[in-house]
Amino acid sequence: MSLVLDGLSKRFGRVLALDGLSFEAPRGQIFGFLGANGAGKTTAMRIILGVLRADSGTISWNGVVHDGLPRRTWGYLPEERGLYPRMTILDQLVYFAGLYGVPRDQAAREGRAWLARFRVPDFADRRADELSKGNQQKVQFLAAVLHDPDVLLMDEPFTGLDPVNVALLREAFLELRDRGKTIIFSTHQMDAVEAMCESVAITDRGRVVVSGSIRDIKRAAGRRMVKLSVEGDHRLEWLSDIPGVRMIRRAIDRSEIEVDPGIDPDVILAAAIGHGARVTHFEIADPSLEQIFIDHVGRPPDEDLTLASADAEDPAA
Amino acid sequence: MSRADPLLPNALIVARREYVDRVRSRMFHASTIVLAALSVLVAFAPIFTKAVDRGTTTHLAVFSSDAGLADTTTANLGTFLNSQRTPGQAPLYALGRVPSAEAAQSAIDLGLADGALLVERSAGGRIDFKFYTGESIAADRQQLISVGTFLVAVLDYTTANRAGLTQPFLFPSLDMVAAAGPSAGGAPISGSEFAGRRILGIVFVVLIFIILVIYGMWVAAGVVAEKTSRVMELIISAASPRQLVIGKVLGIGGAGVTQYVCVLIPALLALGVEEQVSTLLFGPGGSIAPSLVALAPPLLLAYGAFFVLGFCLYALIYAAAGSLVSRAEDLQVMALPLSLIAIAGYLFAVVALSGGTTGFIRIASYVPFWSPFVMLTRLTVGRVEPWELVLCFAILVVTIAITVVIAARVYAAGVLLYGQRPGLQAIVEAVRHPA
Repeated sequence: MSLVLDGLSKRFGRVLALDGLSFEAPRGQIFGFLGANGAGKTTAMRIILGVLRADSGTISWNGVVHDGLPRRTWGYLPEERGLYPRMTILDQLVYFAGLYGVPRDQAAREGRAWLARFRVPDFADRRADELSKGNQQKVQFLAAVLHDPDVLLMDEPFTGLDPVNVALLREAFLELRDRGKTIIFSTHQMDAVEAMCESVAITDRGRVVVSGSIRDIKRAAGRRMVKLSVEGDHRLEWLSDIPGVRMIRRAIDRSEIEVDPGIDPDVILAAAIGHGARVTHFEIADPSLEQIFIDHVGRPPDEDLTLASADAEDPAA
Repeated sequence: MSRADPLLPNALIVARREYVDRVRSRMFHASTIVLAALSVLVAFAPIFTKAVDRGTTTHLAVFSSDAGLADTTTANLGTFLNSQRTPGQAPLYALGRVPSAEAAQSAIDLGLADGALLVERSAGGRIDFKFYTGESIAADRQQLISVGTFLVAVLDYTTANRAGLTQPFLFPSLDMVAAAGPSAGGAPISGSEFAGRRILGIVFVVLIFIILVIYGMWVAAGVVAEKTSRVMELIISAASPRQLVIGKVLGIGGAGVTQYVCVLIPALLALGVEEQVSTLLFGPGGSIAPSLVALAPPLLLAYGAFFVLGFCLYALIYAAAGSLVSRAEDLQVMALPLSLIAIAGYLFAVVALSGGTTGFIRIASYVPFWSPFVMLTRLTVGRVEPWELVLCFAILVVTIAITVVIAARVYAAGVLLYGQRPGLQAIVEAVRHPA
């Protein structure tokens, strides 16, 4: 019972956007679909939606090949935000839900309920061009979920939202998951993925480089991290004296240190005390998802793979 | 597109949104008012023409195998027709004898004469007039010339009586024929009807040009607006390109029909009262023949069919063109070739309107991009055989069916492209191998 992408390939001219992309997103989970810009995430989502056709490979949902599935199986929040500027919000929600087969009165009723849930009931009769970008994004999210799809595909859903709205959206994700919906979303915000997802797939140049449950992926990395806070010393220069230990992220409040396999993390605590440091936080943890991402992809998740700007034609973006 | 989504109901949902969005816009209201005002002006064109025509001279070629009859006709009719001329004013009518009937026709063809009058005396003594009314003779002048022929007969009878002839007065016969030979199903039509049909033809051609080009551009602009606002990303996942393209064409076409009705009603009202307005302006003798005489139901039906089919064809292509650009300012460039094709059809229609059905015009009237203009015009001035009409509609319908498939494929490939415009090769590839 899952969404299975098996060997998807797609070429745009000389650009190979997907190169045998495969992963499995379990049903009823929130699934992180990760990759740098240009890694092929949007192309894969468009193929799942039926907007693009793969050159090869198959997609199935609960064992049914996706060609035979109705459109309303999917809900989609695209990376590029957009609504009809002059149309009222409720009219837009009713319109999009109508295209998925939801009756007008039902769509209007549920649209108002969702707006109230997002604490913006007065948006119903306002035009889209009267709303901020962040609020338009919330409306787009509602347009994606109003027809109650089984699978939600969200392309960078948190981009551009303030912390309050990020929290609202996260709550909505969790609620939908609890109702049995499968949510697949792409993001560069690794903390959001770690907080919400049970499984992920990390892609690079159109291929999945690692996928599975986050716990398994972290354990498979064979490394551990130490998160350390020392009062009055954020440089931690004494770390360089300890073999098999590397500073990954230096910060005023808390630094992250990678420990090689076979090295006891306690040596760091002992060294700190030995140097007279006042340790306020010491935590042994699995490597962060961001570190795993860098390990597999070779660069941070928010770094572009291509030189093309966001507006340039690049269907593989 | 891997799914075979049914056309309905999504095409109608899209159509409804497009319709409501258009008819509620200020631009729609403003353009409707402007077009309605323009249509009334066009409808009153015969009155404006008459106002200008009052200062012009109508040249008539006169021929009779009886030289004496030709002389008296020329003299008496000329005197009668110019009797209302004020001193110093150029003659309103100039009559001149020509050596043969062929020369009379030739004079019209060459533009040397506006019309011709062939006069013969029958064996029983009756005078028979055949009046070839050229296109440039206004209806009121045609009527005055008709009256003048009766006067010629009366004067001829009076002269004969004075010479001692005692046979009773014989009413002359008058046969009015359009000089260029317009026919409805092969039958000659009167000059006044021909003039009325030409006015209708002008109205039809202007309206259909507006419908095809302006409403077609509405479709293209709608697609570009959806791309610019990025709402396209949401739509394209909710409905298939075929549903979207056809829905858009139906919705904007419906808005076009609404505007068309709003524009046509005042135009028809104006045409209905133009005779009264003319009488009011130019006095009792200044009425014009009503243009609505030529507005037969089959003609209206044909116009409706060309409106629907022509709009479908152009709107589908405009939708595909709109999908290939990302900015409104690029749309004019992309749509220019199609607009030029429409303008060419408009110009061919104007040529057909003048009554000339050359081989090229005949061929142009079958070409689907031009037939809504040219065939409609030919039909309006009465020069089309039934089989021609059937063939024309058949070609148009088949072309639309093919265009739906191609436009949907181009649309599907184009709507997700931002930034650079795809080349011709990419478009052809998208049509051959849909996304």
